[in-house]
Amino acid sequence: MAAVVKGVLKSVRERGVLGFFRELRDEGYLNCLADGNLLQTKIHNIGATVVGVDKFGNKYYEKLGDTQYGRHRWVEYASKGRYNASQVPAEWHGWLHFITDRTGDELRLLRPNKYGLDHKENFSGEGDEYIYHSKGHSLNPGQRDWTRYQPWQPTKT
Amino acid sequence: MGLGLLASRALRSTRAFSPLNPRNVRTIVSTPELQKPEAAAAVAQPEADLPKRTPVAGARVHLPNPEDAIEVFVDGYPVKIPKGMTVLQACELAGVDIPRFCYHNRLSIAGNCRMCLVEVEKSPKPVASCAMPALPGMKIKTDTPLAKKAREGVMEFLLMNHPLDCPICDQGGECDLQDQSMAFGSDRGRFTEMKRSVVDKNLGPLVKTVMTRCIQCTRCVRFATEVAGVQDLGMLGRGSGEEIGTYVEKLMTSELSGNVIDICPVGALTSKPFAFKARNWELKGTETIDVTDAVGSNIRIDSRGPEVMRILPRLNEDINEEWISDKTRFCYDGLKRQRLNDPMIRGADGRFKAVSWRDALAVVAEAMHQVKPEEIVGVAGKLSDAESMMSLKDFLNRMGSNNVWCEGNGVHTNADLRSSYLLNSSISGLENADVFLLVGTQPRVEAAMVNARIQKAVRATHAKVGYVGPASEFNYDHQHLGTGPETLKEIAEGRHPFCSALKNAKNPAIIVGAGIFERNDKDAVFSVVEAIAKQGNVIRPDWNGFNVLLLNAAQAASLDLGLVPESDNSIESAKVVYLMGADDVNLETLPNDAFVVYQGHHGDRGVYRANVILPAAAFSEKEGTYENTEGCAQQTLPAVPTVGDARDDWKIIRALSEVAGARLPYDTLGAIRSRMRIVAPNLLHMDEREPATFSASLKPECNEKMSTSPFGTAVENFYMTDAITRASKIMAQCSALLSKQ
Amino acid sequence: MLARLATKRLLEIRQAFRQAPQASRSLSTALNYHVDTPDNKPDLPWEFSDTNKNKVKEILSHYPSNYKQSAVIPLLDLAQQQHGGWLPVSAMNAVAKVIEVAPIRVYEVATFYSMFNRSKVGKYHLLVCGTTPCMIRGSRDIEDALLKHLGVKRNEVTKDGLFSVGEMECMGCCVNAPMITVADYSSGSEGYTYNYYEDVTPKRVVEIVEALRRGEKPPRGTQNPNRINCGPAGGNATLLGEPKPPPCRDLDAC
Repeated sequence: MAAVVKGVLKSVRERGVLGFFRELRDEGYLNCLADGNLLQTKIHNIGATVVGVDKFGNKYYEKLGDTQYGRHRWVEYASKGRYNASQVPAEWHGWLHFITDRTGDELRLLRPNKYGLDHKENFSGEGDEYIYHSKGHSLNPGQRDWTRYQPWQPTKT
Repeated sequence: MGLGLLASRALRSTRAFSPLNPRNVRTIVSTPELQKPEAAAAVAQPEADLPKRTPVAGARVHLPNPEDAIEVFVDGYPVKIPKGMTVLQACELAGVDIPRFCYHNRLSIAGNCRMCLVEVEKSPKPVASCAMPALPGMKIKTDTPLAKKAREGVMEFLLMNHPLDCPICDQGGECDLQDQSMAFGSDRGRFTEMKRSVVDKNLGPLVKTVMTRCIQCTRCVRFATEVAGVQDLGMLGRGSGEEIGTYVEKLMTSELSGNVIDICPVGALTSKPFAFKARNWELKGTETIDVTDAVGSNIRIDSRGPEVMRILPRLNEDINEEWISDKTRFCYDGLKRQRLNDPMIRGADGRFKAVSWRDALAVVAEAMHQVKPEEIVGVAGKLSDAESMMSLKDFLNRMGSNNVWCEGNGVHTNADLRSSYLLNSSISGLENADVFLLVGTQPRVEAAMVNARIQKAVRATHAKVGYVGPASEFNYDHQHLGTGPETLKEIAEGRHPFCSALKNAKNPAIIVGAGIFERNDKDAVFSVVEAIAKQGNVIRPDWNGFNVLLLNAAQAASLDLGLVPESDNSIESAKVVYLMGADDVNLETLPNDAFVVYQGHHGDRGVYRANVILPAAAFSEKEGTYENTEGCAQQTLPAVPTVGDARDDWKIIRALSEVAGARLPYDTLGAIRSRMRIVAPNLLHMDEREPATFSASLKPECNEKMSTSPFGTAVENFYMTDAITRASKIMAQCSALLSKQ
Repeated sequence: MLARLATKRLLEIRQAFRQAPQASRSLSTALNYHVDTPDNKPDLPWEFSDTNKNKVKEILSHYPSNYKQSAVIPLLDLAQQQHGGWLPVSAMNAVAKVIEVAPIRVYEVATFYSMFNRSKVGKYHLLVCGTTPCMIRGSRDIEDALLKHLGVKRNEVTKDGLFSVGEMECMGCCVNAPMITVADYSSGSEGYTYNYYEDVTPKRVVEIVEALRRGEKPPRGTQNPNRINCGPAGGNATLLGEPKPPPCRDLDAC
């Protein structure tokens, strides 16, 4: 605890009070008050080693030793407000889920240059573009011109 | 915390020893005993008292000669089979379903997928069961570790170059590869190289190809060669570069091409009109029959909600085996277009106006009462079911007219002898024929399934085919004997070289096209054909080779029900014409002041002369009896609801009879059927072929002279023959691209 | 130190994951499907020449009259010799007509065998053996030398239309590896030769090519002056005496 207080004081001394609060906000400490999940992560982070940071800014932590097996790797998402698991790029996924011991930075180098696409998070359910409306749903663009049958038009005679 | 720590320590300590644990060794075989099949096999398995198993899919065996039977043991269970059966067939009889891709019981054996490997005792290697004849006393083992490992290995090889695009593949859900990899495959593969890709081929408007998915089972190549009779497809290249194709850019010009979609075990060949429309598990199947030609192919209509999504064949060994023609399979989009959904009356300005059923029926009844009874004419259309034809005939009879007939039956129709309008050898019986004489018929376009049988006979036994009629395309070897009745006369008088072939034949078959019904000298033509039949000994107690190939689904039933016009020139003197779905009847000679009622489901040729339109149900929407060209009564069942205000045909006529004051005595389908039982009891024997009892020799002598005009073509365009197919966009596309000019 | 370790680890990983993207190597000179070109179209007329018509008859006489399709390979070979070393679609159609099968059955055979060229080749088609024994003895160098000398890529024809280089699988001359084959289509099916040049070196193949360009016929067989056919260099060293009869069989007694 003393170390934490010492760190806070050091930071305040370096950046000033305003700067300190800005950093607190950016690092998501203020969100912690409302978001228990993030708070848990922050508490976990104490004493853990940062294994890598991906290009989106997600931080990957590992803590061996007195951590329960299977809970010793985790990610702190770059976005503190709106985060979800699809923000983890493919190269880090394997490390994070204990599929491989190679970190994402190592695996990134193997990505083929020719056709490897950049990782994109899953936007399902956000915005018109990403919502699937089944056939028959009034918002499905196909619904408007779908008819069960096309009647014969007598005017054509 | 303490507990978690303890747990994690305990876990980690086991992890430290993990390399010693054989379970952590990653191998392709997930079950440990499969890693050493030989060792596992060495452990003698006790011969268990096996419960009796039932054959796969009701497979039956017919032992013609009990001495020829041999006994083999499948997984220890003895099974008696005739000589010459393969190991796979023996396993099927024993109730073991062997996985397979290339083997298809209607095609020749290729033996190239290797999926059907089984273990045979004393055989050093697993054997491909589809190509291995069963030998007496063979001990076949289908679920030993060796067989399982062999299948797993084959599966891995097959999946090596198969793309992982099941989510976007139309075969998904009904894919043999998918199912069998779930059942017999491994949970992982060891292939890490690049997958092969193949250029897609253009096979026309019906078959979509994604050739990268192909597993080279060559079923489509064999189907095209053996069943469809068009040698278009082939296996090109070798090794990993092997691909199915036509080499030169060529559309598949077979009328059975849609069947390659069904036989393709993967998604390489799929239906183009059905592409990305629905998944097979969303569809409701209705087992019904097809009405686009007179064969009455058994089909399954797959529908989703109120929409027909696709049509698939159903197995019927006697009629269509398991194939259907392209017209049957792809006409379904015609069911959604040009539909009549409201009763309509043509006003004084010549325009149609939608009215209520009550008004429409009142107008029709009034028009009928204003004319003399014999001036009322009723014409049943190509797609009419027996029930509605029965009610139409009963209704007009009650109104005092007997001028009712079915289109396509021509003038002075003879409905007295069933043998003179049925395919007496039966469709499956044609396989036994060794000489065919086709008179004025092009079975390839008139009845593709009958043509497939003839092709089968030609291919299997090198049966001879003689053809009299206009120049036409055949997909088997044939002799074009002549174009018209003179050639027939030559054959009848024994002056033609083909006579010797007919005389020497064991089972000669003469097939007369129903297009001849429309000729004025039809009786003369028939008597000449009968003379030929007499000479060639075509009609015997054990073999009746005198056949008439009908054109339309309604024809046989209408003749059974006696829909024969009283006078030959009824149309010329008609005042009220009741068209029940009849579009191809010639109305040019109809007087201008005649009142025309059109009852049907499509706004096709018939409606343009109509004064009143009564909307009716199409074959996919009603229950009705149809008799096919060989005399087999079958039933359609409603797959989807009717459109708009349309009603079943018989219900409309029943309602009209009440309005017209000549009430028909039946209110249900069952009541009509009991009425039909009096007229034509064979129509109630569903799915049974009722052969004709009296032969055509009872016919009175005909003294007419044959005209010399050559025979015509009855079906100009295979893809567009009736109201449904003419409304279909797919059929229009096909006839534009595929029909030969 | 750390950097070195990291790079070493990286290299290891890359090695483990590396996949040389290997396109499937096709030995055939053309695609498995036909593409219309001005000199290769189904509607171009093609017929066997008069002398070859006699040869066709002779070839067909080897087979029963109801198994004419057995003659497909010899006939395709004859057509290829006549057409300067390659088979246009119309030639395959002509063969199909002769043996009375559907054209696709002939295409199947022609695409299966890599010796049937379905695209244009040079008058001298040089085939380098690429199978293991020849490869170990330097067939890659020989191919490179040929390609460099002629200034073409594999399966490409030189501008003067004289040469093309292809690869072939084992031709059964491993004892004299490396080897090339020269298929000489310069004088039609009458003067067609198909000669092996064995024990070649990058220098020697260039000489052979130049000799062919001048219209000479370099001697076929081994190109090593010290060897006779497939015997060892400098004459036989073993098996010099008469071969002895097998020890435990008295042939006269049988």
